[in-house]
Amino acid sequence: MTHKRTLAVAAAVALAAMGLTACTGDDDGGPDSGGNVTMDFWHNATTGPGKAFWDKTVADFQTAHPTVKIKIQQVQNEDLDGKLQTALNSGSAPDIFLQRGGGKMAAMVEAGQLKDITADITAETKAAVGEAALKTGQVDGKAYAVPVSILPGGLWYSKDVFQKAGVTTPPTTLDELNQAVTKLKANGTPIALGAKDAWPAAHWYYFFALRACTPAALDAAAKDKNFGDPCWTTAGENLKAFADTKPFNEGFLTTSAQQGAGSSAGLVANYKASMELMGAWDPGVIASLTKDTKPLPDLGYFPFPAVPGGQGDPAAIMGGTDGYSCSADAPKECSDFLNYILTKDVQEGYYKAFNALPVSKDAQGAVTEDYLKAVLDAYNKAPYVSQWLDTIYGQNVGNALNVGVVNLLAGKGDVAGIIQAVNDAAKKG
Amino acid sequence: MAGSFTVADRVRDGGGVKPAPPSRPRRRGIGWAQRLEIAVLSGPAILMFAGFVIFPVLMAAYYGFYRWKGFGPPTDFVGLDNYKTILQDTAFHEALLHNGQIVVLSLLFQGPIALGLALLLNHRMRGQSIIRVLIFVPYVISEVIVGTAWSLMLQTNGAVNDVLRSIGLGWLAEDWLANPDLALWTLILILTWKYIGFAVILFLAGMQNIPEELSEAAAVDGATYWQTQWRVTLPLLGPTIRIWAFLSIIGALQLFDLVYIIWGQYVASTAGTSTMATYMVTEGRNAGNYGYGNAVAVVLFLISMLIALVYQRFVLRRDTEGALTGGQ
Repeated sequence: MTHKRTLAVAAAVALAAMGLTACTGDDDGGPDSGGNVTMDFWHNATTGPGKAFWDKTVADFQTAHPTVKIKIQQVQNEDLDGKLQTALNSGSAPDIFLQRGGGKMAAMVEAGQLKDITADITAETKAAVGEAALKTGQVDGKAYAVPVSILPGGLWYSKDVFQKAGVTTPPTTLDELNQAVTKLKANGTPIALGAKDAWPAAHWYYFFALRACTPAALDAAAKDKNFGDPCWTTAGENLKAFADTKPFNEGFLTTSAQQGAGSSAGLVANYKASMELMGAWDPGVIASLTKDTKPLPDLGYFPFPAVPGGQGDPAAIMGGTDGYSCSADAPKECSDFLNYILTKDVQEGYYKAFNALPVSKDAQGAVTEDYLKAVLDAYNKAPYVSQWLDTIYGQNVGNALNVGVVNLLAGKGDVAGIIQAVNDAAKKG
Repeated sequence: MAGSFTVADRVRDGGGVKPAPPSRPRRRGIGWAQRLEIAVLSGPAILMFAGFVIFPVLMAAYYGFYRWKGFGPPTDFVGLDNYKTILQDTAFHEALLHNGQIVVLSLLFQGPIALGLALLLNHRMRGQSIIRVLIFVPYVISEVIVGTAWSLMLQTNGAVNDVLRSIGLGWLAEDWLANPDLALWTLILILTWKYIGFAVILFLAGMQNIPEELSEAAAVDGATYWQTQWRVTLPLLGPTIRIWAFLSIIGALQLFDLVYIIWGQYVASTAGTSTMATYMVTEGRNAGNYGYGNAVAVVLFLISMLIALVYQRFVLRRDTEGALTGGQ
């Protein structure tokens, strides 16, 4: 049959075409005949001061290194993961790119797609960043990324609304938080929650787990993906008891976290809710959702309150870092650039551009906002810092954990359901 | 996929060949020029079809046998493990059940309502074209806009509840999206609103193909309006209704966008509106289990294909035979 043969030829051509594209595209990166180096650089700041910051940083670096040319590409935040994955798999990965860490980074390392930069991190960088923060870029003791900012979680609140409700000092214990919630209810919604995105709801469980579990129990769960330790159940029961006081906005299950005035950050930005549990990127998100898109003038921060009866430290903190990685075939100048973005001046510029805490201790002195100082204070006082649990446990278990928490809050599942969901997920990954 | 089966069946069922001997005609005397012409004209389409339909389906089947995080080539071959996990996962069972409910409820709601509207619009009357446009507009609007608009209106503090409260029906105000007792019905309501225009247009086209002499003859015989509709219009509209039902079933089985936009990737299963397609995306892309997600895609493909083939074989067979061998 003629058409069968045509089909076979067509299929062969299609396969060959795809095979070819998979092998090309690796032409840049690496010195050309003149000793010049060209690198591609992907970040997610598409507008405003963030974009300007990277443009300036790259220009300054090129001035200091005349043989290096860096081509910037801004990728919209939500598109970044997908585009990056395609680029990495097709062999045309950017040389320098935003790294969110955790399970995805581990998967990239396993697939041999990241450059081992352990030996390239300079002594100055190590001193400025510190061991704990650098660890977030490591897999099995080898460095594959450097952090640029620290993003600890906690409660972001409106000082004015608290005052109006008669809550004079930020709650430091669970009891005080419950009392504050009761007072705030008279003035509207105490706590905004965007459970449509699941992870904001799961944050509540993570923090209760941080208070209930020892660091050893958290580590053990990351290793064997087994949530058998009773502290996980305690955390769930604490969350259930807290949720039963109905502190969250009505319809929180279909509220998203960051999109529009109706989102949880939007509720805080427009004084429709008093507070929100979120990472340290929240001031920027809230600012973009106020009526005049300026930072909320009375924004405050307090760490997650102490929960009695747990084995975790009441001052421990949870948070992630944003970092940058070099792809496996990137030239050695890539690590030079990573060291450069951790120098004091660049880090101060980063803080000003993104309104986020710089990772370099040398640059943290430049921070002026009350709420960022409060974050820094809590961060520096913390006996240990845990990464977001869904990041540590990898996308697969993290996703199941998030869904389990949403079900618990919706009254569909129970605490045992969360633990069951994690065990089921481990089978799929 | 639906289209390709139809074409395949048509070719198999006769392809315009005079019936007597059931064997295929032998092509003879096709010159090189003609072969070249065929190759040039059909080549690009075949290439596109192979590259963008056949190849991805084969790749999905291939990845489905691996435990794969989506970075680098898959290496961890697990055979049928992914499929075993799918069959044991209660979340998948729930999604499958929801798909079944959506299929049945779509047929039950959209069919009769669309028929009624089509009968109404089949008369000459004032404002007919405006009403047609109004009914058809929701079908033309993109799913993203429909989903976003409805999800905003149906929030607890959204427009629907506000309207209810302002007209003194505050006790009817509900959490339309998150309440598990209501969410599926909310979805059916939105689907009906969105897709009814498509059914109406199909039915109207079908009705316009029914010769007017038939209803005139019925009228002469003394049939009432309703008798005419029931005994003449409806039976002759049968093929159109069966094709519409086919498209509706396939659409309901593969429903993804509206659910994903309104309920998001996590809350759909809690609210009771998850579908096989949202399950696939949650497990594949969001959980990063690309091998598992591909296996789900294969299962979704097989279920859709099985139902499509059974429907073609037992329900549409009469219609296609009539249509293709007719005219002799």
